[in-house]
Amino acid sequence: MRPYEYIRSSSPAEALRANAASEKPHYLGGGTNLIDLMKEDVERPDTLIEVSGLDFQSVTANAAGGYTLGAMISNTDTANHPEVKNNYPLLSMAMVSAATEQIRNMATNGGNLLQRTRCPYFYETSMPCNKREPGSGCGALTGMNALHAIFGWSKSCVAVNPSDMCTALAALGATVVVLQPDGGSERRIPFADFHRLPGDTPEKDTNLEPGELIVGIELGEPKFSDNYYYLKIRERSSYAFALVSVAAGLQLDGNRIVDAGLAMGGVAHKPWKLTAAEEYLRGKVPEAAVFEEAAERAMADARPLDDNEYKVEMGKKAIVRALMQAYERTA
Amino acid sequence: MNKIQEPKAAIGQAIDRVEGRLKVTGRAKYASEFPVEGVVYAQGLNSTVAKGRITRIDTAEAERQPGVMKVITHQNALKLATPDEKLLKLDTKAIAPVLQSPEIHWYGEFVGVVVAETFEQAQHAARLVKFEYEKDEHRTEYKDAGEDDSYAPSEDMQHRRGDVEAGMAKADARVEVTYRTPVEHHHPMELHAVIAEWDGEKLKVYMPAQMVNDATIGISDTFQIPKENVHVISPFLGGGFGSKLQAQEHVMLGAMAAKMVDRPVQLTVTRQQMFTNTGLRQENFQRMQLGATRDGKLTALVHDTLSHTSTEKEYQEPCGAASKMLYQAPNARITHRLVPINLPYPWAMRAPGEATGAYALECALDELAWKLNMDPVELRIINDTQVDPSNDKPFSSRLLNECLRIGAKRFGWDERPKEPRSRREGNWLVGYGVSSASRAAPLQKSAAKIILERDGDNLQATVQTDATDIGTGSYTIIAQTAADYLGLPVERVAVELGNSDFPTSAGSGGSWGAASFTNGVRSACLNITDTLVTLAGHDSTQGDDLVTLMKKADLTRHEAEGSASPTEEFDDYSVYSFGANFAEVWVDADTGMSRLKRILSVGSAGTILNPKTAYSQVLGGLVMGLGMTFMEQSKVEPNHGNFITRSLSDYHVPVNLDLADIQVVFLPEEDKIANPMGVKGIGELGIVGVASALANAVFNATGKRMRDLPITPEKLIATELEPGLARK
Ligand SMILES: Cc1cc2nc3c(=O)[nH]c(=O)nc-3n(C[C@H](O)[C@H](O)[C@H](O)COP(=O)(O)OP(=O)(O)OC[C@H]3O[C@@H](n4cnc5c(N)ncnc54)[C@H](O)[C@@H]3O)c2cc1C
Repeated sequence: MRPYEYIRSSSPAEALRANAASEKPHYLGGGTNLIDLMKEDVERPDTLIEVSGLDFQSVTANAAGGYTLGAMISNTDTANHPEVKNNYPLLSMAMVSAATEQIRNMATNGGNLLQRTRCPYFYETSMPCNKREPGSGCGALTGMNALHAIFGWSKSCVAVNPSDMCTALAALGATVVVLQPDGGSERRIPFADFHRLPGDTPEKDTNLEPGELIVGIELGEPKFSDNYYYLKIRERSSYAFALVSVAAGLQLDGNRIVDAGLAMGGVAHKPWKLTAAEEYLRGKVPEAAVFEEAAERAMADARPLDDNEYKVEMGKKAIVRALMQAYERTA
Repeated sequence: MNKIQEPKAAIGQAIDRVEGRLKVTGRAKYASEFPVEGVVYAQGLNSTVAKGRITRIDTAEAERQPGVMKVITHQNALKLATPDEKLLKLDTKAIAPVLQSPEIHWYGEFVGVVVAETFEQAQHAARLVKFEYEKDEHRTEYKDAGEDDSYAPSEDMQHRRGDVEAGMAKADARVEVTYRTPVEHHHPMELHAVIAEWDGEKLKVYMPAQMVNDATIGISDTFQIPKENVHVISPFLGGGFGSKLQAQEHVMLGAMAAKMVDRPVQLTVTRQQMFTNTGLRQENFQRMQLGATRDGKLTALVHDTLSHTSTEKEYQEPCGAASKMLYQAPNARITHRLVPINLPYPWAMRAPGEATGAYALECALDELAWKLNMDPVELRIINDTQVDPSNDKPFSSRLLNECLRIGAKRFGWDERPKEPRSRREGNWLVGYGVSSASRAAPLQKSAAKIILERDGDNLQATVQTDATDIGTGSYTIIAQTAADYLGLPVERVAVELGNSDFPTSAGSGGSWGAASFTNGVRSACLNITDTLVTLAGHDSTQGDDLVTLMKKADLTRHEAEGSASPTEEFDDYSVYSFGANFAEVWVDADTGMSRLKRILSVGSAGTILNPKTAYSQVLGGLVMGLGMTFMEQSKVEPNHGNFITRSLSDYHVPVNLDLADIQVVFLPEEDKIANPMGVKGIGELGIVGVASALANAVFNATGKRMRDLPITPEKLIATELEPGLARK
């Protein structure tokens, strides 16, 4: 690993200042992603500013009638928090499906929002990757892309966002709260606008501006707390990223769907919200045929690559299954 | 010899590992942990092209870094031995020259090493060495290679008997299918590592070596120094699975670096380098042809294997090994062919040949049973033979049918879904599968020394041998053996292993370790007892204990060596361990995710020295087989020729949650032809046949034949139902 300076900040202001003062700074959360990438020589910061100890460590009630998750809480404590489990069990279920207990103990919510793709071309510095080295080309596009995107990709990048937490957040809707480098004023980013599609600038995963510090994730009123399911299809029972995942939430009124939240992981450069399927489901009677039609609509504009045609079929089955599991929770 | 009453006091007891406490308290020292004064650190560098040559090297920036002592590349490397032929045939004593030319043969080949005062400095500087290459077109594909594009590595890998065409013509049912297994890696928990320390022309090497003596030879031959000058120390290994059978290139890199900086050097192979620099299980395409009469008798068996080797080093696992001897097929053809390509060199990995070969053979049998509408257990029993059909020698003992019958009963095989895709539990499809297993049970010459020290009436024994403990519990079974043959409690026996100063043993590999070590120790014990009887002027029939004898002979210390070799009869027999696996697998009907629900392994492997360590061995084999079935694979990037699976986060092995109800049973078996103690190997038997039992269960559950490992959700979704299923 290349030498770097380590700064432990004791206040947000100090972290923002330290960030502004260095050339290639990185905030450090749990380090479970960043340190790995530094060992691989993919990330090469000259300064690490530790922010995991900053005082954004709690789950607090907010003005929107929901709860705000401190950015520095560990993934484990977030997933196990009673308010999260009671009010947003879909999020809790998605979070515990990620990585391992040990990694979740270290990982912070802020870091999770910014975890980078697991695309092997991104990780291997001898191979081309526009995300790591803009202009070098996309190795996966013409190489091996079984684990890559079927939605929203561009010729310059076909990588997927790997986060389970973010897939659930996309289904639930949320707002990311950040502090700006100019003196710490607050900026609020709707979750749907937080991550971005690759376009011609795949080096940018998100719309976060340089130096901005994530301090919280704001959730609205409790949602889908009765009918929810997070389905993660993977190659072993634990400690594997999703081939495809589906976060599904249903709000039922008698035998009608009043609201639906549906998002997929492992299929796009950002957590993929299935808006058309969500709209279709509203007002319908929950049953297999309806879920199948929702799945068809969800996958209608899928554009598989050479090696990942399977994700279309798998995706449909996963959507139907996740909706069915969500529905049958109480039915 | 015949008069010897084989004792069984400690032997056969499920005692805890005598080395267990050392391991869990961190006092068992592994190679890289030895505190060697003045040690400096080396980091290997790897090529980033798959074929070509180095045209320019810039070491300036690396050399400027603090602590950096030397950057070694082919330009300044020490000259090492070169192979006699272009293709170096790999064996456990093989030389391993490295950095001898600018030519690149595979992606990840060692191209240099950086030596620095600290590990971190070496790692950092390693990133800063710049190589430029002239790239040639590489080859990593070979599956369509024909006769002119492949070759048969050796005659003894080919076997023909009877008339295959006639046998196929006579058959009422035929199976002709090809199975593929991917590149897999050994990935023992302990990274390969070495500390090398020169003293003039003498070299001391701390390294994990499965076979200490062979590693010593490999090193001395590579550096062209007398074998006596090399001292290998390897008391504990954190697994090996074959990858530590020989001294590989990194050992030479470490020793070369130590010589060149004139300091002891520690070099640890990184997990990423464990994919490219320590051998691998090669990808295999196995074409199977089976023919059988209506009642299930095999009329023909063909097993043609096509694999790859490196363009520089040759090794092929014998996938047809079990097909050759397991069933009574009068007409058979077993072939092995190789294509040299630009991938890292293959090398023996746990049950080389049998693990992959049994997947093809035992799945093909299942396909045959399905075509014949026969119970797959019965099909195997019908084709049993007590004589090895490949050489007409009787088996020293063979309880395969018993393993199958007893296993079927215990497992509840009768309850199996008789038709594929006929049992459902909620979203899960349920299936049962069976397979046979076999693995040669060789004995290799093995020596040991016993040192007895008497203090009054107290006697302490020490066993020394260069045998190794690769996590298997060798310390324990050797202590149990010495205790019994010396008539002492286990606590009175100290065991010292893994040092080239000790008598030469067979080492750990090929399932010969336990049988060879313990029979060698037995001989040493018998020798020391005999000499003490003589020294004491006693008649051996008096059966006095060793304390009495030593007192009588007025000795407080005495030592003797002994060694075991295969018995005279051994060569007249085929000597194997056998087993049967029964598995229940659940497959999610929609997502294609599979779960092993339960597995039963029934084995017949002679004397079980310690049921607890034996269980662990088979358990480990079953878990590794589970990984082989559902997740383990390295994928080759076609444009760059490298593995895109490059860490344990992409290369999946089972996690605890993947495990299931695992039962291991050993049948009582006495086999005095195998060796006097009747011990047969179990280190590899456990993995053999697991993938086929599971794949057969997947077929039974889903109606899909999975002929390409691993069986992943994406493959299950993409695979069609077996056409024959329409029959229903
Ligand atoms: C082997 C392995 C398996 C895994 N499996 C899964 C899985 O199955 N599913 C899944 O979802 N995840 C998985 N993960 C990823 C894991 O969830 C992430 O590594 C983790 O969430 C990152 O959080 P962190 O706090 O450690 O981030 P860090 O590594 O500390 O930081 C990540 C990035 O975020 C930035 N950052 C951190 N905090 C802030 C902040 N407050 N404001 C601004 N920037 C910040 C850092 O500068 C860095 O760029 C796995 C990880 C590993 C190592």
